[in-house]
Amino acid sequence: MITVEQITYLYPHSDTPIFQDFSAHFKRGEIVAVSGKNGSGKTTLSKLLAGILQPQKGSVCIDGLSTKSQDLFEIGQKVGYLFQNPNRQLFCETVFREITFGLNNQGLKKQQATEKADYYLNYFNLASYRDDYPGHLSHGEKQRLALAAVLALGTDYVVLDEPTIGLDMLRRRELGELLLKLCKESNCGIVLICQEAEFMARYAERELVIPV
Amino acid sequence: MNLQMVDPRIKILLLLTISSAALIFPHPFSLAALLVLALFILMAGGLKPVQVWVKARGLCGLILMLFLIQCLFNRAGEPLLWLFNMPIVTDFGLNTALLVSLRLLIIVLSAMIVLFGESRDYLLALTQCKVPYEIAFMVLAALRFLPILREEAQDVICAAQLRGLRIKKTGLFHKLKVYISLMLPVVAGAIHRAEQLSFAMEARAFRANSHRSSMRRLRLRVVDVFYALVILMAVIAIAFIPLLTIN
Ligand SMILES: Nc1ncnc2c1ncn2[C@@H]1O[C@H](COP(=O)(O)OP(=O)(O)OP(=O)(O)O)[C@@H](O)[C@H]1O
Ligand SMILES: [Mg+2]
Repeated sequence: MITVEQITYLYPHSDTPIFQDFSAHFKRGEIVAVSGKNGSGKTTLSKLLAGILQPQKGSVCIDGLSTKSQDLFEIGQKVGYLFQNPNRQLFCETVFREITFGLNNQGLKKQQATEKADYYLNYFNLASYRDDYPGHLSHGEKQRLALAAVLALGTDYVVLDEPTIGLDMLRRRELGELLLKLCKESNCGIVLICQEAEFMARYAERELVIPV
Repeated sequence: MNLQMVDPRIKILLLLTISSAALIFPHPFSLAALLVLALFILMAGGLKPVQVWVKARGLCGLILMLFLIQCLFNRAGEPLLWLFNMPIVTDFGLNTALLVSLRLLIIVLSAMIVLFGESRDYLLALTQCKVPYEIAFMVLAALRFLPILREEAQDVICAAQLRGLRIKKTGLFHKLKVYISLMLPVVAGAIHRAEQLSFAMEARAFRANSHRSSMRRLRLRVVDVFYALVILMAVIAIAFIPLLTIN
């Protein structure tokens, strides 16, 4: 379980806190939608969950371990994180390497990593771009690639910051089905930041609305 | 004198004088005096010591490292300190180490002078000094771009770490390699964005009128000129400090 306990967070050089004494929890095997107005702090919350930001007060714990006491790569073994902007998380030379990057870091054998990467490339319809430079993909394709790279890791939790942005109707449904499958079969805990009522109603079990 | 009120052209002049003096002056004494002068300008200009420290803190590690490297690896000159009959610090090494770190520190501090005031004022200052408006605008736009670039680089590094990359507790060489390979996409993205930015600017009629006028004009006040003269004189006086010590 990821627990957020009584956190207060404000950005450096700003004086209005985004969160004040805010608490929440996210269980495994559950899809929780997080919504709220623009600028309400959804991205900030997700970065706090992944340990990219640290609260000034209170704590964020992943399975009982505080994010403060862990390195990002250790958190990455338990939590997969999708940035809101796909450009900020693609950094390899080819689409294929983008997916195997994390798998290799997990210590997977080359054969296994290749198989897994190809499975996700096919699932997200990216197989024809296998050896292309990720920077040249369209926005929706980049978003799918970033999703593939995060979901291929098979972590216990995934935090997705607006994953449906830029996906067409068909791809949106496919993403939703994959999330359901991950949740049911791998008992994965999914935090889904989302603005679309329809998508949330269809796939999320619970909705957390962040007040402004 | 409060630096907010000083004419931006004067601030640019001060920055140029002090940082070039820092490069020209050959003696640690004059550099130390220059450092004091730069600090004095900042304090008198309204910056609290804490703020100076917060802004310069990040560089202190680098300066310290440069100092140690120069100190330990410069073998010329008379040895000052031995370790088991091995000279480890020489007078020449210590001197160059001092020079290098003082210079860097002064340049950083003098750059803080132009942090006072608004970027619009600097735009005016540059255009009134006959710098073409396009170039002045681009210099300032580029400067504003830097923090965004840094944020982006941080995001990329976080993303790589969350996908299992270890950066801490690895060798220096490995770290360097990783950073370089991660910076490449950031730089590539920046170039791409610069191109798009130029289209966006032209789409909003940048350069449509060849002559651009502005309502406000900067006027040099007597105080500004006096202030500049005093500091220029101080810099010149500092240049002569080493002569005093020799006699
Ligand atoms: N680096 C930063 N420094 C200062 N303030 C920031 C920073 N990043 C975000 N903010 C501010 O924090 C608030 C919350 O931002 P956040 O990105 O979490 O919003 P969001 O809910 O994700 O919005 P959106 O729906 O547009 O994605 C905003 O008001 C924003 O201006
Ligand atoms: Mg957001």
